Amino acid sequence: MMSKRSKIIFTTVVIAMALAGGLVFAQMRSGSYGSTNSTSIGQGATPVFALDAKYDVGPYPSFVPELAEGDGRQEVQSFCFTCHSTRYITMQPPLPGAIWEAEVNKMMKAYGAPIPEATAKKITAYLQEHYAPENRKEY
Amino acid sequence: MESIARKLSRRSTLKFLGAAGGGLALASWAQGTRSFAEASDGAKPLESFAGPGANPHWNSVGPYVTEPQKAPLILLTDRPVQLETPRYYFRTIFTPNEAFYVRWHLAEIPNSVDLAEWKLRVEGNVNKPMAFSLSDLMQKFKPASVAAVNQCSGNSRSRLQPRVPGGQWGNGAMGNAIWTGVRLRELLDAAGVKSGSAQVQVEGLDTGAGPKGMGSNRFLKSLDLTNAALDGTIVAYLMNGEPLPLLNGFPARLVVPGYFATYWTKSLSWIRVLETPDDNFWMKTAYRIPDTPRGTTTPEDMKTGKVKTIPIERMPVRSFLISPDGSSKIPAGLDVTLRGIAFSGYGKVNKVEISDDGGSTWKAAELGEDRGTYSFRGWQAAWTPKTPGRYSIAVRATDEKGNVQPDEPVWNPGGYLWNKIERQELVAGKAN
Repeated sequence: MMSKRSKIIFTTVVIAMALAGGLVFAQMRSGSYGSTNSTSIGQGATPVFALDAKYDVGPYPSFVPELAEGDGRQEVQSFCFTCHSTRYITMQPPLPGAIWEAEVNKMMKAYGAPIPEATAKKITAYLQEHYAPENRKEY
Repeated sequence: MESIARKLSRRSTLKFLGAAGGGLALASWAQGTRSFAEASDGAKPLESFAGPGANPHWNSVGPYVTEPQKAPLILLTDRPVQLETPRYYFRTIFTPNEAFYVRWHLAEIPNSVDLAEWKLRVEGNVNKPMAFSLSDLMQKFKPASVAAVNQCSGNSRSRLQPRVPGGQWGNGAMGNAIWTGVRLRELLDAAGVKSGSAQVQVEGLDTGAGPKGMGSNRFLKSLDLTNAALDGTIVAYLMNGEPLPLLNGFPARLVVPGYFATYWTKSLSWIRVLETPDDNFWMKTAYRIPDTPRGTTTPEDMKTGKVKTIPIERMPVRSFLISPDGSSKIPAGLDVTLRGIAFSGYGKVNKVEISDDGGSTWKAAELGEDRGTYSFRGWQAAWTPKTPGRYSIAVRATDEKGNVQPDEPVWNPGGYLWNKIERQELVAGKAN
C-alpha cells in the first residue's frame, strides 16, 4: 500500500506526464482524443483533394467505459490508460485468472509498461476479481 | 441539418435510406406488432461483452460510434481506434471507404497530415535514399490498381474456444477495395537495393507511449525481399478511387494482396531496406502462428513451450452468407436468393457451395464476376425452405489451389486464422 504522501507525489507525476504528453501530441498533431459529439451521425464531406494541403480530422472521440467498483480500479485507470483505452478490458470475454496474470505480465515484459511490482499485483487481482468467468457482470 | 444532408453524397444517402427502409419494411412484414410488444416485455440490457462461450453474433457486440470520415461502425476500442464493419456492408463486393474497418496498434495515431511536409522515405541499405512527396508518387510513377481483401489476422477472434484475449472481433474485421498506387518494387528500384539485403521494413505515422525499443513505441513489419508477394505489393494512395480516410491510412498505405492486414502498414512513411532479418517485437513475438497444419494447436500444447511458431502470412479460404441474415422470418415454399462473399489469400476462389442439411450434401452456388485473385468473389444460390421451421445454412468455399474450407475450428493463442465453415440459422414461416 502506498502512503498518503507517496500517493500525492505519484498523482502529481502522473498529471505532469499527462500534461507533457498533451503538449507533445499538440505539436505532432497525432494521438489527439477528445469528447466530440459521439452520438452524431453527421459525416464530414470528403475534402477536395489537393496535393499540398493539410488534412486534419481533429481529435478522435473518447468512449471511456465504466469499470467495476473495487480496490485496484484507480491503478488500472492510471497505468493501463497510459498506452490504451480501458475498453481493452471491458471488451474481453470473461478470462480465467491465469490469463489476466499473463496479460499484465505481457504488458510489463513484452511492451515495457513501467508498473511497480506491488501495483501490478493489485491490477492483476482487480482484473481477476471482476473480469473472470465466475464474477463478470455487465457494466 | 440541411448542411449535413448536403454533405452526404447522394449515393451514401440512398444507401442509408435503403438499408433503414428495407429493414423496417421486412421487420413489420414478418413479425407484426406482437413481436415488438414481446421484445419490450423481455427487454434485456445491451451486451457489453460475449463469453466465455463463443460470441454467437455475426459481428462483435460493441456499440455503434461515429469517427471522423467514417459511417457509424462497431466500436472495439477508442484508443487506439478499432472499429468493425457491420455485416450488411458486405452485400457489395467493394466495401465503402466510410464503412471499412479500422485497426491501429498504438494510440498516437495521426490526426492530421500536411502534404506539403509529408514524405515517403526509402532508406536503409540502398544506393540512393529517396524521399517522395505524394505528388511524386502520383506523377513520377505509373499507377497500378488491384482489387484486394484486407483482413485483420484476428478477424473472428471471438469465435475461439477457449476464448483468447485480444481484439474481440466478430466477422467484420475485413473489407475489399480497389487499391491504386505505386508498385513497391519500383520505389525500391528507384533507391537501388544494395546486394546482401535481407528484408524490407515498413513503418507508418503511429507511435505509442511505451519505452523506446519496445513494441509499444513503434509498429514495424518486414517481409523478405525475395518474397513473391512483394511483386504484387503496392503503396496505395487511392482506395476505391478516392483518398484514403485518415483512419485507413491516409495519405498512403501498403497493400500486400493475399496477405493478412498486419503487413498493410497505414500512413506509410518509411520503407527501410534491412541487411539482417527484422527481430523487432511485431515480427519476433507478435503476429506469429504455430507451425502446424492450419496454424492450430491447443492450450495444453502451448503450455509445453515446444510449439514452434512462424510469422503469419497468407489468409486461408473463407466464405460468408450475407443475406438473408436471420433477422426476420423468410416465407416457406418460396424461393430465397442466398447471397454472400468468398475469398482466399492462396488463389482465386473457384467454388462456393451451400448445405441445408448440416453439411451432408452440398450444392454449388453461382459465382459472381471475377474481380481479381485476391478480391471478394460474390456468390448467390437459389434455395427454397419447403416447410415452415428452422434451417441451418452452411457455406463452404474452395480456392484454385484446392484449399477447401474445413468444418473444424482453429485455436492458437493469438486468435488468428479462423476460417471454419460459417452457418446461419434461418426461420421459415407460412407465407400469407
